[in-house]
Amino acid sequence: MDAWWQCEVPYPFVPSEVLDAADSVRASLPNRWCDPRIAADLFEEVIDEFLLCDEVGLNVIAVEHHAGINSLLGANPLLVGILARQTRKVRILSLGTLVSLRQEPVRIAEEYATADVISRGRLEIGFVKSGGSEMASNNANPVNNVERYWEAIDLIRKALTHQDGPFSWQGKHFAHRHVNIWPRPWQQPHPRLWSATGDPETAAEVGRRGMVQVLVLRGPEGTRRAYQAHRQARVAAGLPKVTTDNFAYAALVYVGETEEEGIRVGSKLLWFLNTSLKSAPQYSRFLPGTAPPHIAAQGYRNKPRADATPSLANAEKGVAPANQNAANLMSITPEQAMAQGILFAGDPDSVYRQIMEFYDKVGGFGHLAMIGRSGFMTHAESEKGIRLFAKEVLPRLREIAPVAAE
Amino acid sequence: MSNGDRDAPDVMHRPREGLKLMGASVGAADRMAVRGMELEVVRRGTGRPVLLLHGMQTFDPDAGFMALLAERTEIIAPSHPGFGQSPRPDGFETVYDLTRLYLDVLEALPHDKVTLIGFSFGGWLAAEIAATCCHRIDRLVLVDALGIKLGGRETADILDVFNTSPAEVQRRSWHDPARWAPDYDTMTDAELVVRARNWDALSLYGWHPYMYNPRLAYWLRRIDVPTLVLWGASDGIVTPEYGRAYAGLIPGARFALIEQAGHHPEIERPEVFASRVLEFLGD
Repeated sequence: MDAWWQCEVPYPFVPSEVLDAADSVRASLPNRWCDPRIAADLFEEVIDEFLLCDEVGLNVIAVEHHAGINSLLGANPLLVGILARQTRKVRILSLGTLVSLRQEPVRIAEEYATADVISRGRLEIGFVKSGGSEMASNNANPVNNVERYWEAIDLIRKALTHQDGPFSWQGKHFAHRHVNIWPRPWQQPHPRLWSATGDPETAAEVGRRGMVQVLVLRGPEGTRRAYQAHRQARVAAGLPKVTTDNFAYAALVYVGETEEEGIRVGSKLLWFLNTSLKSAPQYSRFLPGTAPPHIAAQGYRNKPRADATPSLANAEKGVAPANQNAANLMSITPEQAMAQGILFAGDPDSVYRQIMEFYDKVGGFGHLAMIGRSGFMTHAESEKGIRLFAKEVLPRLREIAPVAAE
Repeated sequence: MSNGDRDAPDVMHRPREGLKLMGASVGAADRMAVRGMELEVVRRGTGRPVLLLHGMQTFDPDAGFMALLAERTEIIAPSHPGFGQSPRPDGFETVYDLTRLYLDVLEALPHDKVTLIGFSFGGWLAAEIAATCCHRIDRLVLVDALGIKLGGRETADILDVFNTSPAEVQRRSWHDPARWAPDYDTMTDAELVVRARNWDALSLYGWHPYMYNPRLAYWLRRIDVPTLVLWGASDGIVTPEYGRAYAGLIPGARFALIEQAGHHPEIERPEVFASRVLEFLGD
């Protein structure tokens, strides 16, 4: 198993009375509450933590989120570019430039090819569907977001692999008359592709395309079902079976010297769920296009009706819609988070055991994506956790070889 | 011309039937099909034909203004593709598509001419249709219509209903929100599913540029039928000033305010609304 470390560079230093009064801590919170000097310190600390990961052999992930206290990483390619140059050994996963929010996939392909060359082939390219408040922040129509997602991925993939001079693209959402990027990527035919998704329908498409599938904080049940949808779609399409190397799970992870320290400091990561997910109804339950109408309609009511028909009350047959998932996560306690496989925290033995219990519940995965610093966790605490994880847990995870996923 | 004319698209009228969704009746509605496209349609009354184009939400067939109009007109009120129970074909997702669809509907109806009445988002459609071709239209009524860009680049003329808190949207939609704002807790499942479907379709058609065609204001000069622009005096989605300017761009158009009404004067003041429309039709 491989492990990957990430920090979303959250900005927790907004007064709590401001956050309490705001209807959303994303998209609409005025940026006067973001002090650029504090932001600069945060970036400096977190980039140093990424460089520590490089030193101790822990792969790194650069995410992207827009306009909120949850993350200052609105411009993923900038961090990817810094990591491509400043790290020397580890692999770098961009997870990722939010492709359905940007108008020019060809430009994204150029950024990725350039980062792959600068890093001499250490780049991995992850795609994230986005949604919620980011639709407003990026002027992106939420209704056909998934269509744009796949078309952008197709165009990026072709731009990265086409070596025979200009080609043209006239798709439904993107048109580009002359595509011929320089440089082409270091890795051939292209860097490995990942996709972060939770719903079974997208999981199936990720499976057919043979991308690495990342489940983020979905807990054992939702994760197992998504991996299953991925595998079943491959069987149905007559494609070869994949190994656990096709599956990744992202959780909050912290290792302390003692169980008490691991849980105490690790619980600080829950800030990400308890505080930074707060989103106004127009960005969540009333956002068009995020769920089929018979499921979205559930979110309209404040009080469920006793006489709701089964079709509406039980509409959620697969994995919960993302906004419902978020609502559940906001009120979670450390104990619940640990019980649900959302937080792996404790001393090294305990964290290893928690990871492997989860591994067994979901049918195995080849990549652990660690959300390693969030909220008010300090730079020192973060670095201590990285060192302990790399020294005490990572060697044991490395021994777990990919197996045919059943 | 009539339905039997050689170049007119085929139209199929089906007998009235209660459409079923998720096991609940959503009111008696007919269906019509135009050039292979099927639409849910509410029909009421007899008399002078009027084609009603709904706004952000589909019509309530039992709405008071419908009954009042139906006393003297034949109402034909389809649900746009993707709204209500009307299917939306793949790729049909622009106002360009809707405009051509309703030009086909106008050609296909068994009337030489009809009165076109468009509400809010449907007012945008009505303006697009009339600016394209008026030969099947005898009168045009725009009610709190969207569709044009008037203000400067830093002024949003139309409240962004997708990016504003739902409570604020309701406050700005009605003169008396306490009375008229929808209460989702009391709606049936079927009604809520229709709402969610309407919301998706509205976003698809109107997200960008938000609820307007940048070139429509210029081409409104092509409209050459008597036009009445009606506006709720308390409309906070698009202001009466916007409505007045809209009317000013249509040759000869009249503008009238309806007091004590917001974005939906037909719902908040059905009698006043119906009498204004019928008076205009009788001229």
